[in-house]
Amino acid sequence: MYLVVVGLLAIYPAIYHLLTQSPLGEVAVTVLPRMETMVAVLYFSLFAMSFDFISGYTGYLSFGHAAFYGTGAYTVLLIANGKVPLLGPETPFLVALVVGAVLATVLAVVIGLVSFRLTGVYFAMITLGFAQVLYVFVRDWDYVGSNPRDGIALSGARGFELGVPYVDQLTVALGTLTGDTLALAGHTLGTTTVSFYAVGVVVLLCFAAMQRILHSPFGRVMVAIRENEERAEAIGYDTFRYKLGAFAISGFFGGVAGGLLAGFKRSVTPESGFYFLTSGDALLASIIGGFGTLAGPLWGHLFDETVREFLSKRGQGGGLLPYLEQTLSEEFLTTELVGGLTVEGFITAALNGHASLYVGIVFVLFVLYVPDGIVGTVRSRLGGRVARRLPERLWGER
Amino acid sequence: MLRTRGLTKRFGGITAVDGVDFDLGSELCSLIGPNGAGKTTFFDLLTGALEPTDGRIEFRHDGEWVDMTATPPAEIASLGVHRSYQITNVFPTSTVLENVRVAVQAHSDHAATFWRTSDAYEADLTAARDILERVGLSERAEDLAQNLSHGAGRQLEVAIALAGDPDVLLLDEPNAGVSSESVDDIVGLIEDVARDHAVLLVEHNMDIVMEVSDRVVVLNQGSVIADGEPSDVRADPSVQEAYLGGYQTGDLAEDGGEPGDPSGGVA
Repeated sequence: MYLVVVGLLAIYPAIYHLLTQSPLGEVAVTVLPRMETMVAVLYFSLFAMSFDFISGYTGYLSFGHAAFYGTGAYTVLLIANGKVPLLGPETPFLVALVVGAVLATVLAVVIGLVSFRLTGVYFAMITLGFAQVLYVFVRDWDYVGSNPRDGIALSGARGFELGVPYVDQLTVALGTLTGDTLALAGHTLGTTTVSFYAVGVVVLLCFAAMQRILHSPFGRVMVAIRENEERAEAIGYDTFRYKLGAFAISGFFGGVAGGLLAGFKRSVTPESGFYFLTSGDALLASIIGGFGTLAGPLWGHLFDETVREFLSKRGQGGGLLPYLEQTLSEEFLTTELVGGLTVEGFITAALNGHASLYVGIVFVLFVLYVPDGIVGTVRSRLGGRVARRLPERLWGER
Repeated sequence: MLRTRGLTKRFGGITAVDGVDFDLGSELCSLIGPNGAGKTTFFDLLTGALEPTDGRIEFRHDGEWVDMTATPPAEIASLGVHRSYQITNVFPTSTVLENVRVAVQAHSDHAATFWRTSDAYEADLTAARDILERVGLSERAEDLAQNLSHGAGRQLEVAIALAGDPDVLLLDEPNAGVSSESVDDIVGLIEDVARDHAVLLVEHNMDIVMEVSDRVVVLNQGSVIADGEPSDVRADPSVQEAYLGGYQTGDLAEDGGEPGDPSGGVA
């Protein structure tokens, strides 16, 4: 089943390309997310997964998770700008990525040592507090650049290359402007598509690693802590250490996600890195996708981004608004509804720049009516893990 | 196996456990006493859930007395003291098998392994299945713990405590709320586990206490007021006073827990 999902994501660029060139192109552009968005969906999903890893599986809501994302992103960019001692600007991206992730792990241990003395809403609040302190700090940290409030960008017109260090054949450059194109079997893959695959491979590896951990004895203890921490302790687990370990792992993957963000965007701001709304987006993705299902945040964030782009303004990936303006007749658009309001005016007022509003409504509906999220609900409908049950449903019990 | 010396716990002005000297051998010992006598607090002290205000708890480990006063619960469990809870306290959305398996895993040396799947440790699964067999839940292994009936939940409660391979098993009212038809199952289970574990049992049903115990300890207002063979304890006037103080002597004789008396005497 995971293979199917990975396969679908792998052929997404082809599907997107074909559909947008086809007679249905207008509709496809409207409904499907752009490739740029898909890359962002991938690395942000990894961040949301790392959030779900700790919050959904041990039950401790890590509301300051953005701190790890930001740490990963800032580390990669600071190394690339030659501002980190011992690691020059020539450091391979993958090494910088790992360094950032390790720093995020250390940060997680430090935050965890203090925070895991608390539970429930107090734990959420203290992690949030740590992240906000870091946010305020990086906002005024002159060292990163002349204008720390605008964050940090890669100096020069360079880009990052992702791949196995020192093996050129397995290395591609990332980014929309600076990325590589690849010729493959007679087709040329665009820069964004190449980045999509490169980032996708890293995300997939991280997902597999987290999945592995969750099914290990260690992961089972995490679930036991979520289910009943008192009993987990009574049967002989030092839960503090397990929680701290899980938090560290979660911080590591959060750092990797941040590094990928930096690698693709070549810049990061305090808002996109450390701000609490970034943690909020991860929470949103986890709730919509399914809390405590590692794959859920991917679907949740994909859903979130698709809706956002569908309802976004002109020139941001083709949404409903330009589609309606193009498709509906001039006559209909200028028809007056009430009090001098034309249809066009109404559509603009209703749609322009209000994506977040509608996503918010969807979020409320999900919390109320689909508390298990997309993946969680599908799972309970099928009566077990999707991977195991769907084939049985389709082809009968074997 | 286990002994306490002057064990005391105060909550503010209330003394819940008051200078208890207690020794547990390898027998099945029942701890009884009226509601609020401090039985559950005593259990919480023994398992480290609460820290004593005063006194010591010692555990006989590898032939030596080890002080385990104010030791965290996880460490006490790994020494070999395990408990079940008065109110079913399991992992509700895990399967019955997983509930027991994760408890078996707790005292293995691979509990913190994160690079192999837990299914690779077949010994854990086998041990968990054996325990389910023993408590009579093997048919329900794949059900979620939250979907068990109350009685089956009580069996699972004991199964999880057993999974830690305890030397001392503390059972806090394994029969609480169990219907009269299922009581026999649980009593059978208690007698079965008492054969190879030291058991300290808290129980309110006097029929069961008199039937299964080798020894009965009575706690009242935090202090031990009687300690001995079941028949001696039943005849002890101070025990009858503690339970039924204020009633007439005629009622005491009747309510003291005649075998077969369905009310069992005390609540």
